[in-house]
Amino acid sequence: MSTKIVLKFFRSNRIYRPSEPVEGKIVVNSPSSISHHGIRLSVTGSVSLQVRGGSAGVIESFYGVVKPITIVNKSIEVKPPGKIGSGTTELPFTMVLKQIGEKSLGRFYETFHGTDVSIQYLFTVDIARGYLYKSLSATTEVIVESDKADVLERPVSPEMAIFCITQDTQRHPLLPEIKSGGFRVTGRISTLCSLLDPISGELTVETSAVPISSIDIHLLRVESVLVGEKIVTETSLIQTTQIADGDVCRNLTLPIYVILPRLLTCPSVFAGPFSIEFKVSIVISFQSELSKLHKKSDPRTPRLWLAMETLPLELVRTRRGDL
Amino acid sequence: MELKDRRLRSRTSGFRMEFRRRDYSAEEQGHVLRRSLSDHHPLLPPSPSFNNQVVDEKNGNNDFYDPLRGLNAEDSASVEEKDNNNSQVSSKEWTSFKRFLMQKFPVSKMISIASMSDVIIKSSASFRKSSESSHLEEVDDPQRISQEDVKVITGHEYVSRLHELKDEINRAWHAEDRVTALKLTIQVAKLLMDTSVLQFYPTLFVLATDVLDMLGDMVWKRIQQKAEFSEDGTFLCSLPEDFKTSDICSDAKETCNNWFCKVGSIRELLPRIYLELAIFPCWRFLLDKPQDSLQRLVMMARGVVDPLASTYCRLYMAHCARKLPLSDIGHLVTCVNDTKILLMRHLSAREDGHFSDKKRVLVSLMEPSIEYIMKCIFENTSQSQRQVDSVLLELGLGRNQEDLYGSSPCVSLVLHHLLKELPTEVIKSNFVGILHLIECSQDHYFDQCLNYRLLGFRLSESRSKLDIVYSVVDKVIQAVAQYDRLDQYLRVVDAYMDIVLQNQMDNHLKTILEGISKRACHKEIHEDELESLESILMKLLSHFTDLNDVLALDHFLEILDVMFGNPRSNINMHILSMATRTGYLHDLSTIQLLFEISQSLHDVIDFGSMKDDEYQQPLRLISRFVEMVDCGTEMEQHLMFLVECRGAFGSINELKETLVHSSNCLAIKALKDGRKHLTFVKSCIAFSEVTIPSVLEHVVQFNLYIETAEVALLGGLVSHSDGLVVSAISCLECFDLTDGSRTSIDAGGMLSSIQKLCSLLVMFPGNPDEGITRFPNSILSLINSKSWMTPRMKIRLFCGIILLLATLSQNKLPYYPYRAEITGNDLLFFGDPSYMHEIAALSECVLQNLISFIEQEPPKAAHGTMALEACNCIASAFVVCQDTLEVCWKLIEIGRLCLGADDRYLQSTIKYLKEQLPSSEKVPSCSNLIFA
Repeated sequence: MSTKIVLKFFRSNRIYRPSEPVEGKIVVNSPSSISHHGIRLSVTGSVSLQVRGGSAGVIESFYGVVKPITIVNKSIEVKPPGKIGSGTTELPFTMVLKQIGEKSLGRFYETFHGTDVSIQYLFTVDIARGYLYKSLSATTEVIVESDKADVLERPVSPEMAIFCITQDTQRHPLLPEIKSGGFRVTGRISTLCSLLDPISGELTVETSAVPISSIDIHLLRVESVLVGEKIVTETSLIQTTQIADGDVCRNLTLPIYVILPRLLTCPSVFAGPFSIEFKVSIVISFQSELSKLHKKSDPRTPRLWLAMETLPLELVRTRRGDL
Repeated sequence: MELKDRRLRSRTSGFRMEFRRRDYSAEEQGHVLRRSLSDHHPLLPPSPSFNNQVVDEKNGNNDFYDPLRGLNAEDSASVEEKDNNNSQVSSKEWTSFKRFLMQKFPVSKMISIASMSDVIIKSSASFRKSSESSHLEEVDDPQRISQEDVKVITGHEYVSRLHELKDEINRAWHAEDRVTALKLTIQVAKLLMDTSVLQFYPTLFVLATDVLDMLGDMVWKRIQQKAEFSEDGTFLCSLPEDFKTSDICSDAKETCNNWFCKVGSIRELLPRIYLELAIFPCWRFLLDKPQDSLQRLVMMARGVVDPLASTYCRLYMAHCARKLPLSDIGHLVTCVNDTKILLMRHLSAREDGHFSDKKRVLVSLMEPSIEYIMKCIFENTSQSQRQVDSVLLELGLGRNQEDLYGSSPCVSLVLHHLLKELPTEVIKSNFVGILHLIECSQDHYFDQCLNYRLLGFRLSESRSKLDIVYSVVDKVIQAVAQYDRLDQYLRVVDAYMDIVLQNQMDNHLKTILEGISKRACHKEIHEDELESLESILMKLLSHFTDLNDVLALDHFLEILDVMFGNPRSNINMHILSMATRTGYLHDLSTIQLLFEISQSLHDVIDFGSMKDDEYQQPLRLISRFVEMVDCGTEMEQHLMFLVECRGAFGSINELKETLVHSSNCLAIKALKDGRKHLTFVKSCIAFSEVTIPSVLEHVVQFNLYIETAEVALLGGLVSHSDGLVVSAISCLECFDLTDGSRTSIDAGGMLSSIQKLCSLLVMFPGNPDEGITRFPNSILSLINSKSWMTPRMKIRLFCGIILLLATLSQNKLPYYPYRAEITGNDLLFFGDPSYMHEIAALSECVLQNLISFIEQEPPKAAHGTMALEACNCIASAFVVCQDTLEVCWKLIEIGRLCLGADDRYLQSTIKYLKEQLPSSEKVPSCSNLIFA
């Protein structure tokens, strides 16, 4: 049995604000006693940028990784050199990501896992054991949310956009029967939304000559990275939520209610080297023989049997209520 | 006398015993119980003071419960429990509702499955190997197989696969693999999207919601645990029943929120709604008012367009909402309204033959859901008028006339269940409006007549004003007059029968009967129509007390005639029981009619295939009818009737007994009337005598012989009687265990029958040619020859013969045949020494038999009692003297050995023996031992 190291945080969800002390313990489980050259705990926060496709050219794609932006990088010694007895040893630690008055390298962006942009905060424990032995280490990610001070004080009043989708609002070609028969779908949907709240709104199918097969809400993220002089933007689908399955009754209001997935969303960010934005898109699929032939196509691609409306969505961090 | 006895004694060898002299009338005077007047009926409710005492006793650990006494003692406790059990009650209701669903729509044989449900196909039997890994992939890519790829498996396999899945989910959860548990549950919920096999959907729903409920419970418990225990397992607090969100620690809230996030990320609408509903009660950890979420879910369900899927989804919603302490019903009303819109849209669509059939099935599948939701709506609405009003308004049915008329036609299926649940008060004040609603809502998929029918039932329970009742019934009868189909007509009319009868609407009754006969005659009657007919006629019959009133109704017999089978038999039985309930039947034409009814009842019975208890009831009724016939002075006619019955119902064994009883009764009646009917009496007895041998069971035969013999004796027909007793005894001789089909005999009954014969023999004039002790002798030989006689029976019969002989030896018999001119043995043989000798000789023989028999028996407690019985018999039959004492002592000794010296029977026997002891007699030394 080899030695095992685990990082345990007192908060089981591992969500911390930058100014909060991160408390936890290092649990070492070893069959024999170990002598070491010190146990260090370090935290690294960084924005890693990558260019993979989207509007990136061939050359940029080759480069792939753009130099990451470091937000924080510091370490403390949890234990000076010495010995750890056999069995389970627990070493408590406390660390603050952003000491008051301390100058940080970058802004503490919230944790985000995207395609091109990824913001991560990693805690790593290292037990150095001299040159003869492999050093032991363990890494765990914590999730960082904006500080209270940075959060908007006023309760955000969610902003709604009114939409009206008809055959004439579509910029792509439609099936002739859809185009001629016509349809009209109206409603409203959030365009400014707290990360804690669902995207809300409502939708009514007023008329539609061709039967509807499904209505879906797509949540999209738009990641932009500055590569050299050029901004590379990629839009990708985060989540699809169906709100109507089949040819819904006309003039019956359907609610729009989409819970935002954690980690895959964060407050909209416009930083110099990169930006993270979001969009919602309402997609109406009409019943059509053609659609069966293209089952696996990207739902964002405009098709003959689809009608859609895409709206920008600004996500903000609000006070975490009493949670 | 004294001298004669001495002589008798000296002549008997062995035992020198002497019959005790008895003065029966003096003994009766001495032993009769004193009667005293009582002013208290033993079954009347007890006086209050007595009642208190009972209650006290109850508290004092005495759990004696008298069913005739008041029930008030235990009511108060159960009321308190009721509140706490509310949720349990609703969950029980749900369980029984699910069972009802499964039974109503049984699983069809084969089920074709669309691509969605690979979770079922994947791991069923042949694909078992890859199951574990494939589930996880499916979550990401549920549409791997193209839509056209439809598979077929049996319903059975499908069901068992779902059960397996449930186990799998349970296992995964308890192995801390909650993600897998959730993923599999989502797969199960996705199955509910497939409504292609209509008939299977209810079963699928029940099974899938079982899984969902299980997951919901597990999530609830997990969060509750997080709220009640800290992370390291220490107990924090126990959540009160009505906890607030402020009582919940943030960790628990976080977990709860995560669950809703996970569920919220399901792409498909229907499974997302189902999963949120499954964990819906958990909203209480996050929100103090979870109602709003419910309202949102109701709205979300509008997006599910498939009528079956969405209706069942709403059903589950109603079920889940009941888990919350809510009194709000807004969501349910919206559910009904949405279903209504969906139904109207769906049903109004163009249709041809095939689709219209499918729609009918669809409507019947949707019905339970609507029924359940309606029930939930009115469950808490109580009787408050205002609340009901608002519900009605929201359902689009205003309270006042104008609104009712103005509203769009209601879907009759929805109307039906609304009508079912509406409080009586509301119905009562709105009959006219409701009637109008029924009139104008007529869709092809739900029979309008069912609504008329329901209205009838509600009307009869409402106790409305007469004028309203009259006008409603008028209108309905008018409306249904348009119906050509018998089944529809019957269904409606059936519901109004009670009202029509109770309010003496004779003209309507006439119309109804006429309407039925018009539609029913000259046509084949179907099963369901028969049932309705049965119900209608039943109501008719139970309304009238006098059968003749029913028979006098026009068309009644006509309608009865079109019926057949079981319903017909039920009606026939009802008529018979009604006819025999009130008293004897005198009217000859009624008797004739009932005889025909009995015949038709009898013809239906198939003794070969029916079970015993199935035909017992009709047989009993026919027998009862025969029993209740009384032609008064027309006794000849009555006997003729009995003869006719014997011919018609020859196959009914039980009836023959009744026939014999009846003819014997007739004979007695004739006897009481005077001597002039002697020939008639003879024919009655002849009838009985001829009928008895066809009775199957020997025991019954024996009893009937004795009864008839007694009747013959009363009629002074000694030779008839003699012959009957001979037959009775020979019947016993034939009786053998192997003979009857019954292996066990009723020993007690048999014993008392033979004892009864002994007592009858007291009155029998002895025939010196045949031997005076001919019958006791035959009984004695019976005892010794028949193996089926139990030891107890034998001893008692020995005693019986001894007592019979002792009685016959008296100078005056205790009783004589009533009014009969027969000379008893006391007069026939008064002072005849040979007579006395014969009796004494036989008694000695019996006594020897008895004693040797007792001595053979193994010493057991029962045996001891028998010995003591014999001892008592001997002591009361004979004068207690040296010989008697010796015998008695022997018996007492046996009793003491078997029962012990402390036995109370033993002691009272000894006491009795002492009392009988003449003071002058010398007590034998051995006896001294006992008596000391």
